[in-house]
Amino acid sequence: MSGVKQMATRQRVSKESSFGRLRYFLDRAILNIRQNLFINLVTVLTISLGLLIISLFLLLLVNLEGVAHEWTRQVQVTVYLEKEPAAQNMTQLLARIKMLQQTDNVKYIKKDDALKRFRDRLKGQESLMEGVTADLLPASIEITLKRGSRDSESVEAFVRQLKQIPGITEVQYGEEWVRRLTTFMQFSRFVVTLIGGFLLISVLFIVSNTIKLIVYARKDELEILSLVGATRFFIKAPFLIEGIIQGFLGSLLALMLLTASYYTFLYNAADFLSLSPTSTGIKFLPPSYLAGIVCTGILLGFIGSLTSLKRFISY
Amino acid sequence: MIQFHNVSVSYQGDAALSDVNLQVRKGEFLFVTGASGAGKSTLLRLIFAGILPNSGQILIDGQNLTRMNRHQIALIRRSIGVVFQDFKLLPNRTVLENVALTLEVLGWGAKDIGKKVHHTLRQVGLEHKMNSTPVKLSGGEQQRIAIARALVNAPKILIADEPTGNLDDFNKELIFEILREANIRGTTVLVATHDRRYIDASHRDFVALEKGVVVEDTRERR
Ligand SMILES: Nc1ncnc2c1ncn2[C@@H]1O[C@H](COP(=O)(O)OP(=O)(O)OP(=O)(O)O)[C@@H](O)[C@H]1O
Ligand SMILES: [Mg+2]
Repeated sequence: MSGVKQMATRQRVSKESSFGRLRYFLDRAILNIRQNLFINLVTVLTISLGLLIISLFLLLLVNLEGVAHEWTRQVQVTVYLEKEPAAQNMTQLLARIKMLQQTDNVKYIKKDDALKRFRDRLKGQESLMEGVTADLLPASIEITLKRGSRDSESVEAFVRQLKQIPGITEVQYGEEWVRRLTTFMQFSRFVVTLIGGFLLISVLFIVSNTIKLIVYARKDELEILSLVGATRFFIKAPFLIEGIIQGFLGSLLALMLLTASYYTFLYNAADFLSLSPTSTGIKFLPPSYLAGIVCTGILLGFIGSLTSLKRFISY
Repeated sequence: MIQFHNVSVSYQGDAALSDVNLQVRKGEFLFVTGASGAGKSTLLRLIFAGILPNSGQILIDGQNLTRMNRHQIALIRRSIGVVFQDFKLLPNRTVLENVALTLEVLGWGAKDIGKKVHHTLRQVGLEHKMNSTPVKLSGGEQQRIAIARALVNAPKILIADEPTGNLDDFNKELIFEILREANIRGTTVLVATHDRRYIDASHRDFVALEKGVVVEDTRERR
């Protein structure tokens, strides 16, 4: 009987140290991985391939977004001024335009500047310039808009506000072009979300099915653990940790593959394809995205384990 | 220690146990016997909540099994050692690891587990096989490992389902000796076997089942 009592106290003592518990689960998970090395390797590879596809998709997205961003930078609103206002009025006018919340940058183009620009553009064909004087070209204010305000609705709203400022009568922007750009951007955003969501779900599905194999291979162990009095948490914890480790390793492998394929194929592809003279080549994913991929991997492993366990733990 | 009140079990409509009433006191050593299919395994399975009865109540140590949640069932299982008819040993784990499982669940530290498992394996005479895997052991040895796993945390109740299944007389005697020793140390022991000859020779109490009904209980004679 004293043996039983001694056992009971020892049990309580070791239960108090949750660190010891975590340590046990971690050891167990690592042991499980070592004992089922092949299937664990398959899972890690599955996760990393899934994540690699997602990261390549992200890479595409980031670069397309960069290009799209370049395009929208060209959304510009121009205010034409019939006559150049006095310097003081001009400062006031510019200040009022700057106060509008959509305004990013304001640039005043004097008549002389306009002429100079015109001349630059027609270089080599100076004959066309004959008779053109500064008086013929109007002074203007060129306004670029903040990033979120470059769709047609915001631009229209902006123009309406502009027109309410005294002294501004003629406002121009590439209406049709802005509209088309807006539609295109909305459509691409929709498609990207759709494809991205679809990708993520398929990867989760595949990963969870692979992990199901791992759990299935150990269903006897699950049963025995439950029969000797293990709580569900106790049975699940090592598997969940195993899933997290797989996800972590899988994401690291995915990042390695991504980096390797980026530097061997994509990095120089920009010059090679001479995509666009202004573009600075294909960009790599920013660090926050890389961290996101690792988190996604860990989450994939965790959720994959969790959903697989549901099937097998029931008593 | 164990009380069955009007317990009935049926698998997919076929009755396996019908209206069973049974009391097992603390410290008893009781055989459950009956022909194959009589319901011996079913009766034992009810005690560790491997299955739940379709009707009736089961009390273990005064606690009603049929009203327990999962967590409570997990806790009560820690005080019941079970030796399964099919052993249920993990083939890819060593003998040590198989037996250690019971203690790991309780949260014991590795050092304590090592000592205790070694001690228990010595009791069943297999400490020298600690590092081999069950598949390399004979049937009788596997049976003793299964018993060691059930006994290693000194359970209040030990349940053994056909622990001498296909064993020769020498191994049979060895195993009953281990069970008797556990009983002497205070564990209530319940053994299912169809081996009436052995029971008769041992002069111990038994309960006999026939088609899911208790037809004989030697303890009632006294
Ligand atoms: N999991 C199950 N599903 C369906 N029927 C079952 C199940 N387990 C047992 N049975 C049936 O219940 C009855 C009792 O079975 P049980 O295993 O309790 O018998 P037993 O006395 O242990 O037999 P044995 O000596 O062969 O082990 C049998 O008719 C059997 O076919
Ligand atoms: Mg049976």
